[in-house]
Amino acid sequence: MLIKYEFLKILRKKATLMIMAASLLLTVFLFALPIMQYQTYDQNGVIKGTAGIAHVKEQNSALCHSLSEEYVTKTIGDVRRLFKDPKNVGYDGSERFLIGAAYWQHIAPREKLLDLIAKTYDRPGESSGYSKLADLKVKKGAAFYQAREQKIQALLNAPSHALSAEQKEYWRHKADKVAVPLRYGYYEGWEILLSSLELLIFAILAICVSIAPVFSGEYQAGTDAVILSGKHGKTKVITAKIIASFLFGLLSFTLHVLAALGLSLAAFGADGWNLPVQIANTSIPYPFTFLQAALVSLGVIYLILLAMISLTLLLSAKMKTPYLVLIVLVPVLFIPMFLMPSGTSGAYNLTLFLLPYRALMPEIGKYISYQIGGLVIDAFSARAMLYAVLTMIMLPFARRGFRKHQVG
Amino acid sequence: MELQLQHLSKRYGTKRAVRGIDASFTPGVYGLLGANGAGKTTLMRMICGVLEATSGQILLDGTTMGELGEQYYAQLGYMPQDFGFYPDFTGREFLMYMAAVKGLSKKKAKFQTEKLLDLVNLQDAADKKIRSYSGGMKQRLGIAQAELNDPAILILDEPTAGLDPKERVRFRNLIADFAQEKIVILSTHIVSDVSYIADTILMMKNGRFLLQGPLDAVTDTIQGKVWETWVPAGEAPEYSRRFSVVNLRHEQGLARLRIINDTPPTAETIAAAPNLEDLFLYYFGETAQEDNQDVD
Repeated sequence: MLIKYEFLKILRKKATLMIMAASLLLTVFLFALPIMQYQTYDQNGVIKGTAGIAHVKEQNSALCHSLSEEYVTKTIGDVRRLFKDPKNVGYDGSERFLIGAAYWQHIAPREKLLDLIAKTYDRPGESSGYSKLADLKVKKGAAFYQAREQKIQALLNAPSHALSAEQKEYWRHKADKVAVPLRYGYYEGWEILLSSLELLIFAILAICVSIAPVFSGEYQAGTDAVILSGKHGKTKVITAKIIASFLFGLLSFTLHVLAALGLSLAAFGADGWNLPVQIANTSIPYPFTFLQAALVSLGVIYLILLAMISLTLLLSAKMKTPYLVLIVLVPVLFIPMFLMPSGTSGAYNLTLFLLPYRALMPEIGKYISYQIGGLVIDAFSARAMLYAVLTMIMLPFARRGFRKHQVG
Repeated sequence: MELQLQHLSKRYGTKRAVRGIDASFTPGVYGLLGANGAGKTTLMRMICGVLEATSGQILLDGTTMGELGEQYYAQLGYMPQDFGFYPDFTGREFLMYMAAVKGLSKKKAKFQTEKLLDLVNLQDAADKKIRSYSGGMKQRLGIAQAELNDPAILILDEPTAGLDPKERVRFRNLIADFAQEKIVILSTHIVSDVSYIADTILMMKNGRFLLQGPLDAVTDTIQGKVWETWVPAGEAPEYSRRFSVVNLRHEQGLARLRIINDTPPTAETIAAAPNLEDLFLYYFGETAQEDNQDVD
């Protein structure tokens, strides 16, 4: 019964309803932007929005292939042949590229796949397009997966990554688990979703704002005295408040997630959910499908949410008004938004990747790892552990804060 | 049942709000009188366990509040001064919530809620949001929540403050109904409320009990110090400056003054029987007159 009333206390406030409605609208708007701004091209010009999505989807339906060595070799050979005919080739002073029908018929429908193959042969720091394929020697086969391994090895050895021997071994081992040959297909919706997850920070903020009065609101309203002098005021009421806050947070966040996911997947389709994330970038070390990557990312985000709720409750129990809670909370959530990483190593970068806003970004293409003694963990695990521990640490302090509150 | 305060003190920095109070309460109504800042609210908060004492302890039937834990709070009903409500809750929801806070079963919570809504005459407004309640309705809801668990100890901090005379009478009767076989500690600076309800008067000043005892006994302490006299109306201001004038009434061109003074203020003065208001003003003087705007 207490949980029900504590839940109602949060939900009944007009401010809560307004904040949550605004936050939901903002989330819908932010996740709708990639749909509205989506554009692709054909020979006739730009195709925007859902028409563009449908066009790309249709083109990609023909590309559902296993990226076997033979297929990659043949694909590279096709591009090389096109480049051999001077009528097909343009030159802008620095790079050769295909023009006319050669481009629109043979490259444009699968440019993303060709770029993926080309980038696999890049050295760290390079970013090639399909034209690189013209220069590849494939008489003895493309050696595509060997190139992938060499690229990963080069990335691990890059001085800028500053990885220890244990970290390199950790990433090598992880990358080795990726099943090859990769299967290619359409995955647009998942790619956009994974690159937009940090926008859920606004939902987290809205939830924190809504629960900021859970304890401090009692102090402000002057109801603390009657609650704390009640039989369960210092025990079950606190538990009920914490459970109600988590319940409210989880339900309303799930609503935001469903809206975000629903919108992206409704527009782009759920196709690609079972394809490996390496078809977006072959050097991604995580052996995940797009669905698994999304679920792991969301799992971590949910843990971040729980920790932020716990922090809000702790501040709420310690501070006299909800406004003071927000004065502390808003910078915690938003300052990391303006801090940019300068790499993936060093205390500053490694800390930044753990802070709330940055931690919402999956960063699956980056080799971010944390080492404690001989133990190496990746960014997902580090974030999950950090935020689970923070939740467990902060909740008892929140409980204590309200239990020991002195009515004055 | 016996509630004991043993050398109870509260200090805020260098300020001592309550100074080593020793007292024992058995069932009955205790009227806690004192000017603002006397330490009444601090004392009540400590008894209710929402403010920690700097030293001393509170015992119920010989066991300390800390040892009793939830058992202590289960026997407590508290109506703080100016406490807030949840404006988005209805009166009934608020009482049901408070019943849950007090550990009542769902069945008992429903029963007590309906009973008390009837008793405090809020049944018709029970499903209206508290934001639409008048001050008097909120006060009645406040005492209803304090009474939900049928507590053995009922602490009421300024329960009649801000009520109009009609509401106050109704409220006093309500408290009298609830008070049977309970320890009721009622703080107020509305003297008439205390004189109507309280069995025992506790006069508090500077964090200490100055006087305690039945109404007659405490007012007897200023026997021979309350006077009535008639003076020309023009001289009344002069008397007000020189003496503590409790009451002034103009009658047929003369001013009838009720004065508190250790000696007769004039030769033509008659001694009057002291009442609680006289006692209050005797001990609190100008402080009380400033603070005690609604003294009857």
